[in-house]
Amino acid sequence: MSVAHIDELDRIEMADGFVWHPIRRHFDIRAFGVNAYTALEVGGQIVEEHAETQLGHEEIYLVLRGRARFTIDGNDHELSAGQLVFVRDPQLTRGAVALDEDTVVLALGGKPGEPYVISAWEAMFAAVPYSRTENWGEAIRIHVEALVEQPEHPALLYNLACMEARGGRHLDALLHLRRAVELESKWAEYARKDSDFAAIRSEPGFPA
Amino acid sequence: MSSGYEILSLDDLERVPYRGSGEILRPLRRHLGFQPFGVNVWSAEATGDKLIPPHEEDSGHEELYVVVRGTARFTLDEETFDAPAGTLVHALAGTFRTATAAEPRTMILVAGATAGKAYVPFNWEDVHIAFAKLDAGDAAGGRAIMEAGLSQTDEIWGRHYNVACYLALAGEHDAAFEHLRTAIELDRDNVMKWLPHDSDLDPLRDDPRFQELAE
Repeated sequence: MSVAHIDELDRIEMADGFVWHPIRRHFDIRAFGVNAYTALEVGGQIVEEHAETQLGHEEIYLVLRGRARFTIDGNDHELSAGQLVFVRDPQLTRGAVALDEDTVVLALGGKPGEPYVISAWEAMFAAVPYSRTENWGEAIRIHVEALVEQPEHPALLYNLACMEARGGRHLDALLHLRRAVELESKWAEYARKDSDFAAIRSEPGFPA
Repeated sequence: MSSGYEILSLDDLERVPYRGSGEILRPLRRHLGFQPFGVNVWSAEATGDKLIPPHEEDSGHEELYVVVRGTARFTLDEETFDAPAGTLVHALAGTFRTATAAEPRTMILVAGATAGKAYVPFNWEDVHIAFAKLDAGDAAGGRAIMEAGLSQTDEIWGRHYNVACYLALAGEHDAAFEHLRTAIELDRDNVMKWLPHDSDLDPLRDDPRFQELAE
């Protein structure tokens, strides 16, 4: 058993302006996805605009505090505390901005009919503060930990290679990048333009 | 609004008295038709009202309780504490848990499932909704909900057993015996764990057919 208040959780500011509060990761929940989000300012993004096409998740967004304007499939809806939107169709784009200073949105999600698998983006999000401060060792550790559970996840391998290239672990970066490309060829195209790989782009074996 | 999404206020959810102990279930998962895992809401109007039924989650589910409004007084195993709005309580299977309201209009959302297993709704919410209908005088409405659960294939013995309990209390004894007999044919061992002491079946106990089945 463990207990935490939502305001005590880690707060990880993302580039798009929203703040991720990792609930699942905090409690090491293994059966379903659950996180909280806040915004940096009124009018700021609180739920990033996205679809769940790849993961196939059904999602529930519950406003726990304050108010948020959700845009679902192009339609705007203003929700206040105690209201939720259930997005059944993974193809629909969804996002929200905060309308009050202290707005908190709880997000729950999973794929019907399948055991829950931890989403790879969690490790990528969790590594953001370390990448920002160029603490490559910790950013790499977070990715390696996630790969233990999903060793053949192309996006995780690619991101790990980015961190390794930036952190001076060039051979590891090449190996992980090559594996990502073997699993999903689109990563070669990304790698050609990705500034993270500047230090290894001329190395023999760089997938270009 | 397209059919691909739905908006609702938790306060608009149906209020279902939890059979046996009186907590108020707001059956969110059933309302939404949400499939990936269990998710429901519990609410209490007055301070001191029961909020979460005492249980240990022998289903194997891990659960996360989110205090949406008010303050809940939780007991987890030996520990009792107050949890104001915004508190998250994570409990693994086997942990005893219960809660009462420490403020008026307290509301909790709970999500639960078993790690590593695809979630299959057992529709336990339906049992409470059906009995609430029976208590309100709508025996036919309750029976329809109970019998709809028989279309599922998992734990089918338990579904027949629950229908037998419902029909016993609704006074439909012949039909109750039919479902009890089916439950025994499907899984006698499990039925016999419950049948000797289940007060739901008391209306049937003096009937010779009950003795016959219990042997």
